[in-house]
Amino acid sequence: MSSDVKPTEVLDVRGEVCPYPDVKTQKKLKKMKSGEVLEVLVDYPLSAERIPRSAEKQGHQVLKAEKTGTGEWRILIKIK
Amino acid sequence: MIDTSLMFSGLAVGLIFGFALQRGRFCMNSAFRDIILMKEYTLLKAVALAIVVQMIGFHLMATMGYIQLYPKTLYWGAMIFGGFIFGIGMVLAAGCASGTTYRVGEGMMGSFVALLGLMIGGLMTKAGALKELKSYLQPTEGALKAITSDNPGDLIGNSNLTLANVFGLDPWIFVAIITIIVLAVLILKRGDEETKAEGTLYEKIFKRGWNWWVTGIAIGIIGITAFLAFKKYALGISGGWFGFLDALITGDPEKLNWFTFLVIGVVIGAAIAAVIAGEFKLRAPDAKRLLQQFIGGLIMGVGAVIGTACNIGHILSGIPQLALSSILGGAFIVLGCWATAYIMFMRG
Repeated sequence: MSSDVKPTEVLDVRGEVCPYPDVKTQKKLKKMKSGEVLEVLVDYPLSAERIPRSAEKQGHQVLKAEKTGTGEWRILIKIK
Repeated sequence: MIDTSLMFSGLAVGLIFGFALQRGRFCMNSAFRDIILMKEYTLLKAVALAIVVQMIGFHLMATMGYIQLYPKTLYWGAMIFGGFIFGIGMVLAAGCASGTTYRVGEGMMGSFVALLGLMIGGLMTKAGALKELKSYLQPTEGALKAITSDNPGDLIGNSNLTLANVFGLDPWIFVAIITIIVLAVLILKRGDEETKAEGTLYEKIFKRGWNWWVTGIAIGIIGITAFLAFKKYALGISGGWFGFLDALITGDPEKLNWFTFLVIGVVIGAAIAAVIAGEFKLRAPDAKRLLQQFIGGLIMGVGAVIGTACNIGHILSGIPQLALSSILGGAFIVLGCWATAYIMFMRG
């Protein structure tokens, strides 16, 4: 994937504590339509690993889960 | 003042423990809460494996005569009440005692605030405004008094109850049964949570989160090392922080204990791990969340003193000794966690 996918919505949960990044991501994923892309910005390491894992388990497609800086991650999820 | 060699061993074990906690994201609040909240079992597997490794290690060392086991005293009312409110507190604080401590090292100011609450709540209950509640639930007489054993067994250094001596059986029977059951479940239910094995060994150790089984074995071995170093118990977190604040306020270095040096080591070890991995960042949630975490920490502190231990003292260090007190306290920590997680995140 050379060019970036444009996200439909952005969820910025930086600063949030366990488990709010996960809970808020789940809420958002449920509201979005199939084919749409959610971008999650997170700075909590456990959630940065757990969000892609649970999204995949639910059948969504994780387009990207990358570290963008010190203690910051960006996750792109395509809704199933 | 504790002697210098114990200070250094506490600090050294703490450094390694903190490193492993940060790399393994080892938090029991997440481990238990996520069972019901997300049907996620990764951290739970690490906790289960760490318990089994320590259970075998502790009993092996006790059988060989290197240590004696020190199961905690069974005050049943205190274990139920203290455990349950500790479980409530850790969900509000967004981390158990160990999770909160290692996250301070990652630069999470919300956890720092929770830790202040934990220390204050603990001292309040030990010697302050709530000390009557503690003595009510840990009395020397009456229905709530400690239940002890007349024949605790060869491996045990006090008269407290374990799963083995309450039935008058050899502890190795329970060690074997529990080990077989836990390992069988871990093997049969092994999932695909393994982080994809890419990169060099250096990157796997220092740059990425560890696989659950690496974390479980590492923390198990650290717990065994702690018992060998300290002799009187294995790992513990909350008691170390209470001693820290007590020493700061009273100016009495006698208040510092082995665990105080351990927890200071944990913060430094976690900070080192986070810096190397590029995960250290000073960060804070909003005001409402900070208040929530402070209250959570305060409740954890009260619960840890009444229940005589936090999640580490009970679940990680006490259950491997087969202590009935820790099994009861640990069960109510989990119940308090589930009740609170349900109310906060799962209704509606």
